[in-house]
Amino acid sequence: MSESTLPPAAAHVGDDVQRVDDAAKLTGGAMYASDLVFAGMLYAQVKKSPHARAKILAINTSKAKNLPGVHAVLTGKELDYRIGLYVVDKDVLAKDVVRHFGEAVAAVAAESLDIACRAVDLIDVEYEVLPPVLNQLDALDENSPLVHPDLGSYDYVKASFSPQPGTNIPNLTKIRKGDIDAGFAEAKWIVEREYTNPSVQHVPLETHVAIVEWKAGDEVTIWSSAQSPFTLRDLFCRAFKLPHNKVRVVIPHVGGAFGGKAGIHLEPLLACLSRKAGGRPVKFQATREEEFSLLPCRSALTYKIKTGVGADGRITAQKLLMYWDSGAYADYAVNVTRASAYSAGGPYDIPNAWVDAYTIYTNKPWGTAYRGFGHVEFFWGLERHMELVAEVIGMDPLEFRKKNLLKPGSTTLTGERINEHTGNPLKCLEAAASAINYGRLTPEEQERQARTGRRIGKGIATLHKAPAMPSFTSTAAVIKMNSDGSVVVNIALTEIGQGTATVVTQMAADRLRFPVSRVKVAVERDTDKDPFDWQTVASKGLLLTGNAVIAACDDLLRQAYLDAAQVLRAQTVDLDHDGEKIFVKQRPEESVTFAALSIGYVYPNGNGIGGPLIGLGRYTAQGLTSLDKETGQGLPALDWTYGAHGVIAEVDPETGEYTVIKIASAFDVGKVINPGTMRGQCIGGMIQGLGTAECESYIYDDQGHLLNPSLTDNKILTAKDLPEEIECIAVETPQLDGPFGARGVGEHPMISVAPALANAIHDATGAELTHMPVRSEDVWRAIHNRLPVDTWVTKAPAV
Amino acid sequence: MNDGFKYRAPTSRAELFGLLAAHGEGAKILAGGTDLLVDIRSGLVRPELVINLKKVEDFPELVWSQSQGLIIGPATTVNDVLHDPKVRDCYPLLAECALSIASHQLRNRATVIGNIVHASPGADMAPGLLCLGARVQIASQRGRRELFLKDFFTGVKRTVLGHDEIVESITVPAGTARSRGSYRKLKRIDGHDLSLVGVALTNTDGDVRVGIGSAAPTPLLIEGLTDQDPADAVVAAARAAIRPISDLRCSKEYREYMIEVFVRRLLEEVR
Repeated sequence: MSESTLPPAAAHVGDDVQRVDDAAKLTGGAMYASDLVFAGMLYAQVKKSPHARAKILAINTSKAKNLPGVHAVLTGKELDYRIGLYVVDKDVLAKDVVRHFGEAVAAVAAESLDIACRAVDLIDVEYEVLPPVLNQLDALDENSPLVHPDLGSYDYVKASFSPQPGTNIPNLTKIRKGDIDAGFAEAKWIVEREYTNPSVQHVPLETHVAIVEWKAGDEVTIWSSAQSPFTLRDLFCRAFKLPHNKVRVVIPHVGGAFGGKAGIHLEPLLACLSRKAGGRPVKFQATREEEFSLLPCRSALTYKIKTGVGADGRITAQKLLMYWDSGAYADYAVNVTRASAYSAGGPYDIPNAWVDAYTIYTNKPWGTAYRGFGHVEFFWGLERHMELVAEVIGMDPLEFRKKNLLKPGSTTLTGERINEHTGNPLKCLEAAASAINYGRLTPEEQERQARTGRRIGKGIATLHKAPAMPSFTSTAAVIKMNSDGSVVVNIALTEIGQGTATVVTQMAADRLRFPVSRVKVAVERDTDKDPFDWQTVASKGLLLTGNAVIAACDDLLRQAYLDAAQVLRAQTVDLDHDGEKIFVKQRPEESVTFAALSIGYVYPNGNGIGGPLIGLGRYTAQGLTSLDKETGQGLPALDWTYGAHGVIAEVDPETGEYTVIKIASAFDVGKVINPGTMRGQCIGGMIQGLGTAECESYIYDDQGHLLNPSLTDNKILTAKDLPEEIECIAVETPQLDGPFGARGVGEHPMISVAPALANAIHDATGAELTHMPVRSEDVWRAIHNRLPVDTWVTKAPAV
Repeated sequence: MNDGFKYRAPTSRAELFGLLAAHGEGAKILAGGTDLLVDIRSGLVRPELVINLKKVEDFPELVWSQSQGLIIGPATTVNDVLHDPKVRDCYPLLAECALSIASHQLRNRATVIGNIVHASPGADMAPGLLCLGARVQIASQRGRRELFLKDFFTGVKRTVLGHDEIVESITVPAGTARSRGSYRKLKRIDGHDLSLVGVALTNTDGDVRVGIGSAAPTPLLIEGLTDQDPADAVVAAARAAIRPISDLRCSKEYREYMIEVFVRRLLEEVR
C-alpha cells in the first residue's frame, strides 16, 4: 500500500465513540451464557464440604441416584483427571481429602434444578475432620501439615515456577539486584514494617455459568462465561487428553469477570456429568454464596518491607518479602506471586533489591487472578510504607516519592532499562497531586472542616503494572469484508465490559478509513471459528489485539489494492482509497468501490477475478524473556502503565468514620483510544479499589469456616458510596510499539487506591493503618492505639 | 433446600386466623417477604404453609388522627411510612429510621410490622418506635390484646407472639408527635447495610428516651431520663442497659464506644 498524501477519510481513534454493545445490554437483548437453554438440558448441583480439612471416609450416593429425574451422580473416585494452570494440583472433585470449606465432593445432573438440589441433599458424606492449616505463615513451619503431600509429583510449568516439594510452597520467586548488604550499610535510616491484605471476592454481576455437552465420539462443546476461550480449551484438552479439534468453546456476552473467570473452573465437572448422562447438555450456574467458596477468590498477602534510605532521601536498598496465601490450590496464585515479585518495588529506582515471594498452600478457598494481579495487594503495603518512611525521615511524602521515581536511564528490579518512551510516572504523580491541591487545604476545605468538626486529609499513591503473561504471548485478528463493503472483525479477546469491541471497532475503522458504522466486531467467541488469543487478562488486549487488528486491516487493504490494480489497469503504488472506493491518485474519477471488490470483482462480461476479501493479522509480544530463576533478571514487561491517585478524605477523629470527598487518578495510557471507555474503566477500577480498601474481606473462624459467604456480611460499595468527586486524567507518552501509541489501563485504576485513601486518613488523623480493609473501627483503633515508632525503625541517625 | 410449601392468600381476617390456628408453627406469614424469602432460601425456615396477608381486606392501613395517633397496618411498607407527609411532619424520626433500611427497592416490599415481628436485635424501626411509645395490637381467633412495644421482644428473633397470632397494627400515640430526636446508625457502607449499632433519642417535653438496636438480644428502650440530666448520666444509663457482643461485623468495644458517642451527640441536638 502506498503512503497517502490525503487526509484519512475517517479518524475515530481518540473520539468518544458510543459503546457498540450499549443497545443490546441496556435493552436486555444481549445473550449471556445463563440465558441459554438447550433441548434435553440437565441441571447440575454440587455437594460441598462443610469442613476446611478432612478425610473423606465414605460417600453414599444411592439415595440420590434413585431419585426420579436424576441422570448422573459423580464422586471424585471415578474421575481420574487433574487440572491446573501452572501447577497441576486439582482434582475435578475432591478425592480422599477435602482441602477447603466449600470444596466440591460430589455432583449430580438432573432434569430440573429442584431435583438436582434435592439429590445433592440426599448424598451422605462421612468425614474425619482434621485440623486445618489456615495462616500462610504458620504453613511455612516445618511441622505444619502439608496441604499437598504429593507436591513433588505434580506437573508444572518449569520455565516460570519453582515448587518446593515436602513443603506448602508451590512456588518461590526470587529477584536479586545489586548488593543488598552494601545498600543497607549505606543507608542512614532503615524502616521495616509488615502489611496485610485479606482475601476478597470478585463479585461479577453474572456468577460463573457454563453448559457442557459431551457427545458420542468425544465431541465436546462448552458454552461458558469464561474470559479466555482458548486457554479454557487448552486446559480442558490437557486434563482429558483430547485433541483440540474435538473441543469447541463458545463464549457469548459475559457479565463481568475481573479475573475470576480466567482459566478453567466447573467446565471439566460438567463435561463428566454430561458424558455420564449420555451426552445431554449439563448446565450449572453458581449462586452468589457459591461464588465465595466453591469458586476462587483473591489471595491474601502478608508483605514485609525493609527499606534503607540515604541522607539525601534516596532509597539505597529494599528487602521485600511476600507471603501469598494461595489457599488450597496453586491456580493463578503462583503467577500472581511471580508478577508481583518483579514489580515489587513499584515505579521507583531501587539500586539494591532482594525479593523473596512465596506462594503458600493453606486450607482455604483458593486464590485466582483478580484485576491488578497481585498489585492491588502489594501496593497497599508498598505505598503505605513509602508514606511511613517519609514520615520517619522528615520529608514530604510527595517529595520523597518524586525523588525516587523511575526515570529514563533507571533500571527495574529485573534489569530492564527505562527510556523516555516507557511512560512518565512523574507526570502522573504531579497530575494526581495537583488535582487534589495536595499539601494544603483550600479555603472551602478549611470552612468545611470548621463546620463539620471532621478533619480533612490528603493522600497520594503511585502505581505501575505490566501484563503478567508468557514472554511469547500472541494473538490474531481476521477481518472479513461483506458484499456491501462493511466488515466483520473476528478476535478471541472477549468483551467482559472493558470496551474491547468498541475500541477495536475504532482502530479498525481508522486503519481502513471507514466509518465506524461499517465495522462490526463479532459478539460471540468461538474456538472453532475465531483466530487464537491466549487470554483476556493482564491489560494486554489493547496492545496485542490492537496491533493484530491493524495488521489485519493492512492485509485486507493489500488484497483489495491488488484486485483494484487489475480492474483499474494501474500499479498499486498509483492507488489510494477513501471510505467507499479505491481510486487512481492522479485521476480520482477512475475508481472501484470496496463493495464491488468485496467478494470478487465482476467484469461487465461476467468474468470474475479476486475473491472474498479477508485480512489476517497477528502479533506476538516482542523481545520478552523468561526470568532467571536465581536472580529474576530478564525482560518480563510488554509495556509498563504508570499511574497515581490522589484522595481527599474527611475523617471523624472521634469515631473513625470517614468519607471520600474526592479521588483523582492519572494514568500514562500512551494514547487515549476512547475517552468514554477509558473513563468507564477508570471509574470502575477506582470504585472497586475503594471497595476493597473500605470494607471487603473474607472472614474465617478458627476452623476455617468462611463466616461471610454472601453480600450480607461481605459488603461491596453501592451507588451511595461513591466519592463526591471523581476525576480521571490521561497522560499520553506514546508507546512506540502500541497501536496508535496506546497501552493498557484495564487493571491499573484499581491499584493503589487503598493506600491513597489510607494515606489521606493518616494525613487527617495520624492513624497508622497497615491492614486492609480500612473500616471505621480500624481507623478508630489506629487513632487510639498507635504503635511506637521505635518498634519499626531499626536504624536512624543519632540525635 | 425446601421440600415445597403450600401457599394461601386469605381475603379476610377470619380466614387468616383460621389458617393460623389450624397450622400453628408450620405456617409463616408473608408480607413483604424480605426476611422470609431469604430465610427459606437459606434453609433457616422450612414452612409447610406460607400465608400472604396482603389480600386481607379488613386490615388497618397507614392512617393518622389527632385522637388515635399513627396507626401502621400489616401491609404498610417501609416506603409508605417514609413517604407519608403526616409521618414526616409528626414523626420525622420514623422516616429517618425507615430511610436507613436496605435500599429503595427493598423498602418498597418490606413492611414496618415485618421489621418488628422478625425481631432482629438490629431492627431499624425499633429504636424510633420504642422512643415514641409505640404499642402493638395483637390479634388471633382467640381475640385481641395490646402491649407496649418495649414488652414485645423476648430474645433474638423471639417475641411474645403465639403461633396463631399476628400483629394487626402498631400505634404511635399522638402525645409523642413532634418529639425532637434523631436516629444514628453505624454501618459498614453508606449503601444498604444492617446496623452495627443504632441509637434513637427523643425529647418529648423534657422527657428523654433512648432506643438502642444491635446492642443486646432485643432492641432496648431506656426511659426515665430528662433533658436536664447531665450527659454522663444519660450515657451511664445506656451503658448499664446494653449487652453488646463481638461478631464479624464489629467488636464489642467499638459498639460500646459508638453507642456512647451517638447518645452524647443526639442528646446535644435535642437539648
